[in-house]
Amino acid sequence: MFQAKRIKHFLIVCFFLLLCACGLISCATQHEIRIIQMNDFHGFAVPYKPYGSDEAQGGLAYLAARVEELRAEKPTLFLAAGDMIQGNNWANLFQGKSSIEAMNAMGFDAMVVGNHEFDFGQAILRERIREANFPVLGANVVGLSELKPYIVKNLDGISIAVIGVVTDDTPVTTHPKNVIGLEFLSVEDTVRKYTKDLKGKSNIVVVLSHLGLSGDTDLAKKIDGIDVIIGGHSHAKVAKPALVSKSVVTQAFEHGKALGILDLTVKNGKIVGTSGCLETIKPTGKENTTVGGIVAKYQQKVDAVMNETVGEALADLDGVHVRLQETNLGNLITDAMRKTAGSDVAIINGGTIRTSIKQGPVKVSDVYAVVPFDNYIVAIKLSGQQIRDTLEHGVSAVEDEEGRFPQVSGLIFTYDRNSPKAARIKEVFVGGQPLVTDKEYTVATNDFLAAGGDGYKAFGDSVKSSKDYAVIGGAMKGEKLVYSDSGRWLRDVVIDHVKTQKTLSPKVEGRIKELK
Amino acid sequence: MKVYVNDREVSLVTGMTVKHALISAGLIDEIEKGKKVYDEMGNEIGLGGALIEGVKIFVK
Repeated sequence: MFQAKRIKHFLIVCFFLLLCACGLISCATQHEIRIIQMNDFHGFAVPYKPYGSDEAQGGLAYLAARVEELRAEKPTLFLAAGDMIQGNNWANLFQGKSSIEAMNAMGFDAMVVGNHEFDFGQAILRERIREANFPVLGANVVGLSELKPYIVKNLDGISIAVIGVVTDDTPVTTHPKNVIGLEFLSVEDTVRKYTKDLKGKSNIVVVLSHLGLSGDTDLAKKIDGIDVIIGGHSHAKVAKPALVSKSVVTQAFEHGKALGILDLTVKNGKIVGTSGCLETIKPTGKENTTVGGIVAKYQQKVDAVMNETVGEALADLDGVHVRLQETNLGNLITDAMRKTAGSDVAIINGGTIRTSIKQGPVKVSDVYAVVPFDNYIVAIKLSGQQIRDTLEHGVSAVEDEEGRFPQVSGLIFTYDRNSPKAARIKEVFVGGQPLVTDKEYTVATNDFLAAGGDGYKAFGDSVKSSKDYAVIGGAMKGEKLVYSDSGRWLRDVVIDHVKTQKTLSPKVEGRIKELK
Repeated sequence: MKVYVNDREVSLVTGMTVKHALISAGLIDEIEKGKKVYDEMGNEIGLGGALIEGVKIFVK
């Protein structure tokens, strides 16, 4: 009996000694681990030819196949550094559900929210997080309980903490209604707090960030204890990870056109060696059939959505003469913009409108053909003089039928093409009242014109003279900027307008009159 | 937000991207001709890349 007890005691001691030895061996042994990264995917699941390139790039099924191969080689963490669910039609038409389904199939270990993850609103974001089979991080976001500040993963006996942070500019880069009730804390303070908390609790600290490369570099310089920063937001193609202070900083371009690979050698619980590269993804070679199936399934749904009827045009909607005169289609689109932005006036360049819509049922694809570009609505305060200057610019090349010719809502103007340039605009009325030169009006336009596209300068001049703005009480306040929603394309605003109207019978009303 | 494209200052609404900076600087057509955009560290950046106050980017 006594001997049996001694044997039992001996076995228990042996067991604990074995556990300790395993732990010591695990720490003392050299470990080769890997982090694979994707960022700023923006729903580009289908290979595409980027602007200025004749070659198709990307392709989520091809990227997934490469991830599988890389994972088979060594213990791996697969991380997403934000902006995964919004951007391309493949994601937008399903409010990001397609992206999450594909990411689940690809076995991501974690993702940080990017600013564009908020673009569909908090209820949708919550739904996407619930659908995700992986944790979604956001340590500096207060008010969205579904987000975790960090995770700790064990790879081959090495514990790795991953802290997620998103740009604290998010409230001014998405529509204010999307972030009502949320607080975005200082990234620096947040990372400092969690690196301190996690000290001694993990071997490696990774910051999964959506700050942009400059922000990541600053973070690495200011905070000790970060081993690796896996970043996104600036769409930077970091060919080789950089060592900033004691942190390895990297980012993997955009749209699934590249995969970031970072190999770490860990000894005694510390990183003793790193090597990394970017692998370009092209639609050739091996394809992951599961992910390929998800991509194809949603692409078919995209095609089906394109065929959906959203309203009926009771007359032909003229997208042909938009560079020469007022048209009913120009009126419809600018009316939708003015209503959405809640502005006094809307002005766009005729070149925004690419084609007409025939009388009869209006499909989603018809609207997408009319306004195909990834443009969004911006509204800026302009003085009466700036509005006049804008219109002068708009009619300055009417004889050449250039794309700058304006389509307008909320105002009426007359012009004479025979007058000298910059003196062609005659009468201007806003809301039925004569334009007052030194009065400020809110003017909705698209981001292209707001950035100075087609030679429109007034919007940029106004922004230049504007003081910085801030979000106050859930609404964006600023001296000159009154509306900006980069998460919602103009074509989708027009579709919603058509759906609301059901039947379309916009008329040429004499908003733009040429004196002859 | 002021940013610099090939050392030329342009003013943008906060939240605008590399694409908007190039439109503002009149250089967007250069991309169609095959030129690319780089940050100060020499990394290529995509047209959708976020910008911050005072950042310098280069088209070449």
